[in-house]
Amino acid sequence: MLTFIGRRLSAMVFVLISISIMVFLIFFATPGVDPAARIAGRGADQQTLMQVRHSFELDRPLPMRYISMMKHLFVSQDLTSYVNRGAKVIPQLSQAIPATFSLVIGAAIIWLFAGIFFGILAASSKKKWIDPTIGFLGIVGISLPVYWLGEVVNLITQSKLHNSVFKWVPPLGYVGLSVDPWQWFLHLLFPWLTLAVLYAGIYVRVLRNEIMVVMSEDYIKTERAKGASEKRILYKHATRMSLITIVSLFGLDFGALVGGYALLTEVVFGIQGVGKLTFDSLQNFDLPVIMATVMYASFFVVFMNALVDVVYAVLDPRVRRV
Amino acid sequence: MSLKDSSEAVFSESPGKIALRNLRKDKRSIIALSILGFIVGISFSAPLYAHFVAHTNPFQSTLDATISIHGEQKAVLEPSTTGLGLGVTPIGPTWNLGKYFLGADGQGRDVMARLLYGGRSTLLIGTTAGLLCIFLSLLIGIIAGYRRGWVDAVLSRLLDIIWAFPVYLLAISLSVVLLTSGLTIGFIHVGPGSFALPIFIIGIVYIPYVARPIRAQVLALREREFVRAAVGTGAKSSTIILREILPNIMPSVLVFIPIIVSLSMLTESALSFLSIGVQPPAASWGTIINEGLGLLYTRPIVGIAPGLMIVLTAAALNLYGDAVRDALDPKTRARGD
Amino acid sequence: MRRKSVIFNSLIGAAALLTSVLVGTSTSQAVADGPLAAYDAAHAGGTLTLVAQAAAGTLDPKVNYTGQYWQIFQATYDGLLSFSYGTGKTTFKVVPDLAEALPALSNGGKTLTFKLRKGIKFSDGKPVTVNDVKASFERIFKVSSPTAGSFYNGIVGATACLAKPATCKLDKGVVVDAAKNTVVINLVAADEAINSKLAVPHAVINPASAPSKDAGTTIIPTTGAYMIKSYNPNKSLILVRNPNFKEWSHDAQPQAYPDEIDYKFGVTPTAQVTAVENNQANWAYDPIPSDRLNEIGTKYAAQVHVNPLTAMWYLPFNVNLAPFNNLKARQAVSYAIDRAAMVKIFGGSQLAAPVCSFLPPNFPGHVDYCGYTKGATPAKPAKAWGAPDLALAKKLVKESGTAGQAVGIVVSDDDVNKQMGVYLQSVLNSIGYKATVKPISGNIQFTYIQNTKNKVQISVTQWYQDYPAASDFLDVLLGCASFTPNSDSSINMAGYCNKALDAKMAKAKALGVTDAVAANKMWGAIDQEVMADAPVAVAFTPKQLDFISSQTKNYIFSYQYKMFVSQLQVK
Repeated sequence: MLTFIGRRLSAMVFVLISISIMVFLIFFATPGVDPAARIAGRGADQQTLMQVRHSFELDRPLPMRYISMMKHLFVSQDLTSYVNRGAKVIPQLSQAIPATFSLVIGAAIIWLFAGIFFGILAASSKKKWIDPTIGFLGIVGISLPVYWLGEVVNLITQSKLHNSVFKWVPPLGYVGLSVDPWQWFLHLLFPWLTLAVLYAGIYVRVLRNEIMVVMSEDYIKTERAKGASEKRILYKHATRMSLITIVSLFGLDFGALVGGYALLTEVVFGIQGVGKLTFDSLQNFDLPVIMATVMYASFFVVFMNALVDVVYAVLDPRVRRV
Repeated sequence: MSLKDSSEAVFSESPGKIALRNLRKDKRSIIALSILGFIVGISFSAPLYAHFVAHTNPFQSTLDATISIHGEQKAVLEPSTTGLGLGVTPIGPTWNLGKYFLGADGQGRDVMARLLYGGRSTLLIGTTAGLLCIFLSLLIGIIAGYRRGWVDAVLSRLLDIIWAFPVYLLAISLSVVLLTSGLTIGFIHVGPGSFALPIFIIGIVYIPYVARPIRAQVLALREREFVRAAVGTGAKSSTIILREILPNIMPSVLVFIPIIVSLSMLTESALSFLSIGVQPPAASWGTIINEGLGLLYTRPIVGIAPGLMIVLTAAALNLYGDAVRDALDPKTRARGD
Repeated sequence: MRRKSVIFNSLIGAAALLTSVLVGTSTSQAVADGPLAAYDAAHAGGTLTLVAQAAAGTLDPKVNYTGQYWQIFQATYDGLLSFSYGTGKTTFKVVPDLAEALPALSNGGKTLTFKLRKGIKFSDGKPVTVNDVKASFERIFKVSSPTAGSFYNGIVGATACLAKPATCKLDKGVVVDAAKNTVVINLVAADEAINSKLAVPHAVINPASAPSKDAGTTIIPTTGAYMIKSYNPNKSLILVRNPNFKEWSHDAQPQAYPDEIDYKFGVTPTAQVTAVENNQANWAYDPIPSDRLNEIGTKYAAQVHVNPLTAMWYLPFNVNLAPFNNLKARQAVSYAIDRAAMVKIFGGSQLAAPVCSFLPPNFPGHVDYCGYTKGATPAKPAKAWGAPDLALAKKLVKESGTAGQAVGIVVSDDDVNKQMGVYLQSVLNSIGYKATVKPISGNIQFTYIQNTKNKVQISVTQWYQDYPAASDFLDVLLGCASFTPNSDSSINMAGYCNKALDAKMAKAKALGVTDAVAANKMWGAIDQEVMADAPVAVAFTPKQLDFISSQTKNYIFSYQYKMFVSQLQVK
């Protein structure tokens, strides 16, 4: 077991290093990204330009530059931005993390509740219209482009109906939980709902189908034959079995979202989280910030992947041989 | 359908044929296919619409155009005449198919015509990218699962890298390269404005999503008696893969197709929304949404209409996906049917 | 001052009832040239909230080269000289700031003598001394200020400092006398624009102890009405009153009204408008999104201020690359572009005016003329631009033999610039080219189009004045010295180098030292001569639209730095 975890960990490090090298190479292969002239200012003298280039170590060979950047990022942790000179990258990232966590955790609570409730309802309801209706809503949920939904929500709550129904909706942005819990809640309410729609759609569909599959298994049929009530079968066996799938799915989704996959939601609602930071740094071609956010994001994604693998390995020893 | 039907069928028909028959009877598949057929039909008749109905070139800026509505001559881009007279607003929907059915955009172009042309790009990119993704995933998944050992380890790490890689960085960088100088790989030259970039990027983004489950299935199949037996007889790997493995993973691959095509379309629109997909003056639903955002407060229809088209198409694809899945594996069928 | 502001606002209100043409004239001419009104302590206090999409980078006044922060620096830092507070054209005037008077010139204009004011302290409590002045000039080079090589290379000893900034010493260039409290600046040659160059933020006085590299986000003590409390480029810039500030010149650095200024970042332009409408912010930095213009122009007309900018939107042609290495091809495009259409994209005729002259209206040396309009030629220009001449353009393209060639238009990928690109593509296609638009990130487009390596044929870009002098447009943008092949910093994007014209510009600059009026006349002639060659096509001159909240009063516009932030009243 330990060797399996060890192998997984070293694979993780390998993946992270590969990603950082690729990001670095792609960045410098892009034409026009040399930050020296942008930092030096418009119309800068050629000598000034060279001095700026030197001060950012941009006149050194690529491998040296890469090693130096990694050293500043991980060892001395004083890597600074290419755009906002002097702005350290790591504090920027750590300041953005609470906003992303607030967004993702809140949305996750909504989608888990909605997903589990409607998923079970769809699989168990006696009424004929409920399952297709929920199925239809689930399909709409997974078919909505999140950025478009966000913009439409903004259009309605910030403008069209802002003077009547949605007078209470605060302007876009993020307010820290410790600053003002009520404002924190109000600012995040619509971002939560918007982000949750997609995942609620996915979870409803997955849960419903899992329950249906379990319900048709032989051992359930045996239970039923023994005279157990439908309710008891549903809650004791079917739901419990299918929740395992939900938990592992949740692990992957949560890792990806916390790592910055909520980028579009954050951009549309102006929430200054990791996704927005990534987006802004990409727009600015600010490599140090790009590198930090990418490392952070890939860590979460890869770590959650590995964690799910390890959990599976604990549950099912055959996986370890693979 | 009743159990009796299918149990009788087992003796005379292959599982594929049964599935096909199930699918044909499924109301959802009929609804989904008619919606998709309608959308594909109108999108691919875009040039006909632009030329014969709207009499407009949706790629030509007409900032000083005028049209007559109820005998009244109106500028397509009207400068504001109230208050301080700030801003210029494109004409709104006329609901007249002949001219500016959905109004004009910021360049005075017919939004309806662009919506149809945009559908063509989005459908084309979504479908091609989706199929490319499925193909590559099959390749990777089968090789990794069949060969096992170090080949599997390398490919699995590759999947990890793709999964965790920042897609937007790749997209932005590649689009700068493409736009400015074009990309030459070997003898293939990809020029600016080509759809190859979005297709390529979207095609690889979802590979891990599909390849992982395929690999897992192949790994499991590899342990099954009939595969072991085939290996034991000394058959060639390619023969085993084609004869024994591929048919057994085909059902799940088929289920993936509509889902991935729908995901690819959503991603295409997201990339275009971040202005790194289809390049102007060409249109896709994502670029029209992007352009529509600049008009959200005055002409919201420009941004909302393509969004609704995306939802409709994606929903139809997902509905069809559900029907395909249930046809192949009836356990999850809705009990109402 | 308050009285004036009320008049200004009511003028806008009244103008709203008039036709749209009249509005523009009344808003831009409503304020007469004059000094700043006396300070009204009754309106002091409160917090002014400004909102912007993004911060503008380093906070070092010697390095930052953005209009966004120059506006803020005016209320925080001081140089020996500065641009005057006031109304109308007064704001283009250079006045003594930390110096007691404008410099006494001697040695044929090569020696400038200043006397430093006494009793002024930095925000950290230390007095401002002549040694700080000398260190500040050396600091321009030590921090690699963007203008070190263009504005301050005329100071004696600057050449050595440019080559080796770390050890920069200006012992001969900036001679100080602590006993007499004087500063003598020695120039290699007389410079007509030296006062302006000494008045911009890159020449402000910092403590001698300020870091000898770009300070970035660390805070340098100030002399002005405000000091910087905190700066986080992803969040906010907070300014509070400088406790050591006492007004010494009402023109150069007047007492401020708000107690605190909170500049918040990360707010989208459309959210900025909403915030100002709902009184959650006092002012929006970014251009108002085009779909909100009509709304603020009607519902919030009294809170809108439109003023002319000395700036231009223009299309540099690459004169060293086909097809625009051909004069006729360049002229064809100059005739073909519908400047009114481009104005429409920018937001309508109230927010911009079509022009073809290189020097913008209201700028020294500007002459009203247009050589590229229907019925005019560069030799026989019309008074103003009227309409495009597509027929002539097509003819010129044919004659040039460049018809059918591929042309790439490199534009920024923001909404307005991209629309300009798409429009241009349409025009170029209609006169016989095969055009494509290449929208690239706004953050790299400006440097990308400068580098000859990138082989950009035509692009869309803007230029805003640094200081009011014709040389800041003509010499900077089209002089041979501004063209460096294969460099990201080659502001002469056209790659245009005309030796004869360069000599004329040098002459005009020399003349400017002694006779500004005659020099400006000469610049006007140079303008027409350059445009006959059409290295660029000027499209229009934009106007500044400021949208302030209903609770914000005392808006005053400066030609040099736009709105005076410190003079806004929130109480």
